Amino acid sequence: MNPLLLIMLVPAAATVALFFVDAEAKKAIRAISTVATGLVLLISIGMFVGFGDAPATWTANADGGDTAHSYKYGFEADWIQDMGLAFRLGVDGMGLAMVLLTALIIFAGVMVSYTVEKRVKEYYICLLALVTGVFGVFVSLDLFFYYFFYELAVIPMFLLIGVWGSTTKTVDQNYATMKLVLLLSAGAVMALVGLIAVWADAGTFNMVLLEEWEFSKSFQMTWFPVIFLGFAALVPMWPLHSWSPAGHAAAPAAVSMLHAGVLMKLGAFGILRLACTYFPQAAAEYLPYLALICCMNIVYGGLVAISQRDMKLIIGYSSSSHMGYVLLGIASMTMIGIEGAVFLMFAHGVMTALTFALIGWFYDQTHTRMLDDLGGLMKVMPFAGTLFIIASMASAGLPGFANFASELMVIIGAWESGSAPDAPGWLIIPAVLAVWGLVITGVYLLRAIKDAWFGEMDERWKDLKDQRTFGERAPFILLTAVLLLFGFWPQGMLNVVEQGAKPLVHRIQAGRAQNDKAVKLLVPVDAMPRAEDSLETPKAKTQGEER
Amino acid sequence: MFPLAQVLPLGMTLPEGLTPNLDLLLPEFIVIGTAIGAILPELLLPAGRRAAATAWTSLAGLVIAFVVVVAMGPSAELAVQVKDANGAVISGLRMDSFAVFCRALITGGGALLVLISMAFTRRLDRGHGEFYAILLFSLVGVMLVSGVSDLLSLFVCLELVTIMAYVLAAFRRNDLRSTEAGLKYLVVGAVSTAILLLGIGLMYGWTGTMSLELMGQKVWGAVAAGESMPGLFLLGMALLLSGLFFKVGGVPFHVWIPDVYQGAPSPVTAFLITASKSAGVILLLRIAQAVFIRPLGLDAALHNPLAQQWVLVLGALAVVTLLFGVLAAMAQRGIKRMLAYSSIGHAGYLLMGLAAIVAEGGQDANGAQYGGEALLYYIMAYFVTSVVAFGVIIVVGNASAKVPGGGDSARAYEGLWSRSPLLAVAMCLSLLSLAGVPPMSGFFGKFLILRATVDKGLFVLAFIGAAAVVGSLYFYLLWIKSMYFEAPPEGAPKGDDFRIPMSTKVVLYGGMVAMVLMGVWMPPFYNWAHDAAASLTALAGR
Repeated sequence: MNPLLLIMLVPAAATVALFFVDAEAKKAIRAISTVATGLVLLISIGMFVGFGDAPATWTANADGGDTAHSYKYGFEADWIQDMGLAFRLGVDGMGLAMVLLTALIIFAGVMVSYTVEKRVKEYYICLLALVTGVFGVFVSLDLFFYYFFYELAVIPMFLLIGVWGSTTKTVDQNYATMKLVLLLSAGAVMALVGLIAVWADAGTFNMVLLEEWEFSKSFQMTWFPVIFLGFAALVPMWPLHSWSPAGHAAAPAAVSMLHAGVLMKLGAFGILRLACTYFPQAAAEYLPYLALICCMNIVYGGLVAISQRDMKLIIGYSSSSHMGYVLLGIASMTMIGIEGAVFLMFAHGVMTALTFALIGWFYDQTHTRMLDDLGGLMKVMPFAGTLFIIASMASAGLPGFANFASELMVIIGAWESGSAPDAPGWLIIPAVLAVWGLVITGVYLLRAIKDAWFGEMDERWKDLKDQRTFGERAPFILLTAVLLLFGFWPQGMLNVVEQGAKPLVHRIQAGRAQNDKAVKLLVPVDAMPRAEDSLETPKAKTQGEER
Repeated sequence: MFPLAQVLPLGMTLPEGLTPNLDLLLPEFIVIGTAIGAILPELLLPAGRRAAATAWTSLAGLVIAFVVVVAMGPSAELAVQVKDANGAVISGLRMDSFAVFCRALITGGGALLVLISMAFTRRLDRGHGEFYAILLFSLVGVMLVSGVSDLLSLFVCLELVTIMAYVLAAFRRNDLRSTEAGLKYLVVGAVSTAILLLGIGLMYGWTGTMSLELMGQKVWGAVAAGESMPGLFLLGMALLLSGLFFKVGGVPFHVWIPDVYQGAPSPVTAFLITASKSAGVILLLRIAQAVFIRPLGLDAALHNPLAQQWVLVLGALAVVTLLFGVLAAMAQRGIKRMLAYSSIGHAGYLLMGLAAIVAEGGQDANGAQYGGEALLYYIMAYFVTSVVAFGVIIVVGNASAKVPGGGDSARAYEGLWSRSPLLAVAMCLSLLSLAGVPPMSGFFGKFLILRATVDKGLFVLAFIGAAAVVGSLYFYLLWIKSMYFEAPPEGAPKGDDFRIPMSTKVVLYGGMVAMVLMGVWMPPFYNWAHDAAASLTALAGR
């Protein structure tokens, strides 16, 4: 059976199965969820390992040289023939990296959620429904189903945060839940109008065929912002980010993990897969300005994180700060930058999931996350504390972790595009600020470590429980191991990511060359060297392609 | 075949040009017969058994009628066809795929309405027969409406629906709210009927015909000849559409909706929100097809100036309707009133689809297809979803009369997940479907509407429609929040207190499956709507 179909059917089937399990049989419910997500993880690892040798099912721009883009593990079933809708699945390297990320996090998330005791059955039903939608987005190759799964992932989130989340001094749960769902939906429906416009122009929902369709420049310039902003709300790009830290703070641990680890990546993935792929010319025009907005994400997000006293809000703002690096990598439009962005999406997903899982672990016992109440936790939970320090160091870009490798790539990419001879002078600013962003990260994370894990311990915390059994430790060890694995062996991930990123970068570069050509057309006739020395001369061509 | 056609003319001669073809109306006769039959148990049976007997009779009649409609399929013949001296058809009921689709929707949906009404009527001590008989007569009106080809039968069939609905709205005549609803409905409805009639008169004045088809020929003849249409005809058109806006609930003819929907007994509200609204949509589609869609034979370069103006008017009204419905619904604390305002919002989406049909690019038969199938899918999805929601509302309203604020209030729904998981899940899914969230049926309906508007280049409309999805999500989620996040209030009914009858359970389970099915496995449903819309637009080709 097709592995992509399986990773969607297994959680979907488990969701349905859970409806028929007795609500009191908590052990059975947890077992079903663990087995289902474990199976999905195994399938994903299998696909990841075998990716290089797997045959391509569809190839877009097959004779386009570097822009030839192939999708593997394809599956297709006709849905509505009159409308040209088909249930079409397939992944390229970028999609597969995200699938592996999702599988890792949901498996860890299910295990971490063993501590949930309230309405267990509904909890796992929502969690598995959510993850079915997320997988659907990463593997759909039909615009309709892409949107379908995207929106499907939002509603279980509402219930998960609303029912199992918590109101604290810093965040009101109802407010946070409603804000998150409405902002995400607003982004989604905005993108939907754009996607339908894409369909109306090209006449197909097939995402492979769409890659071969050339949209006119004016069409691209109109609709790129619509689709881009729709997804950017989910990334979350400043100034659309405020739903995200609030949502994290109100959500239960596993939901924060999925939310920061995977859902935010849906937005960046949509930007890469749809906006940049279909509208390369518009991307080349708009993306340099995105690099400036990223600075706000990175620096502003980081500064806000410094001023927080709630652990989850610190990590929440830190997430939106680090998603700024992902956007910066995309905005660099260079090979190393975009590859780094996708790699960082993976690395940040794993790291942030680990952090939220650890915060969830002690919050379940302390019922406070405020730095002022905590302190000295290292004495009672050394295992959790050590891992928290590891995760923080990874986040701050310590060599040896996947985050270091990917953030370095992003910064090099940003520098490369900012220092290109024809780049505007200001384009170097984001690269410089991005480096300082890592210093800011160090400030708030080290302070969080100091205040929460070291120092005087309050008497209240002396009975706290550390992760003792292997079962309790397993999800944490798994995530840490993945961070280290790809930190020391980044090529393992990059080989896969490159397969999807390369054609995209070449597309955007080609779009840029086309733009430059068009600009030359606008030069007044007498400014041109000679009348016959028009666009078609080799000189103009090579100039365009040099970049 | 059907004996009535032969029996009726005994000793009489038919007028010149009239071909009854009454056998085509077999489903309607079945429902009318059932309606009369539903009164009998009231006369013959002891009081205790009347409720069940009338309800099951009505249900059986509608189910049989549904099967007959589907089995008969479309026909090229017109029922009760009247030809003038020149041999042109001037009146009659069409039996095309569109009519079959609508009649199947009304009989099938009507059966669901009867099922959820049982939870209401079993608590009545008298008047079971009347309730179901009137409901069935009204449904017959909607069935007939789906076939109209001329303005005269349009008026007669529509009045059959409306007058029955006046009675139904005031059905609980000892209840102040219900009487008020009936009276308001009657007064506003009577005015709108007068407007509609005046519009028909003015349209007749210029075209000299009642037939929609001949009227379309006259309009397009004038367009082809470059003549302008007289202002009074345009006024007549506007008045006719106003009358239909009243049925659909479009601003500015929506004022009656909140009070009537809130005051009328819940099953009646369900009827008004589904079948009665469908009647308006069906007629809007029939008229748009006749007047706005360019006949295939005509030069594609011909533009109907009427369409160019009307797309602006309809688009603007759609936006106002949409925003009013969504914004007003946010402030409601009673669930029926919230659904009343949200139904105005849904009327906005329906008008968006209509604007797409009328739009410049949509004048040819192919272009109007998207809008047509979108509207049909939308009302089909809306029908099922609303019936499920009202199935819950009736049961909760019955059981929660003692809850402070009444059975209609948010209090009655707080913590419903623990008090009755079935009711909570059904309500939650139908609210999500109304909001247009995948994988529910409402999502695909909204998707089709957006597709039709974007395809015609009505981007502003599409963006506002999309924004309204978010706005409506807000107030639907507020109710889901009450049901799922809050703790159940003290003394609220729970578990068996709700006494959910088997009939309602059937609708809830079946409806939930249908809602998900129509949102996930859409092909069969989409193809029905597609074929029905195609037969409608094919008429324009003549």
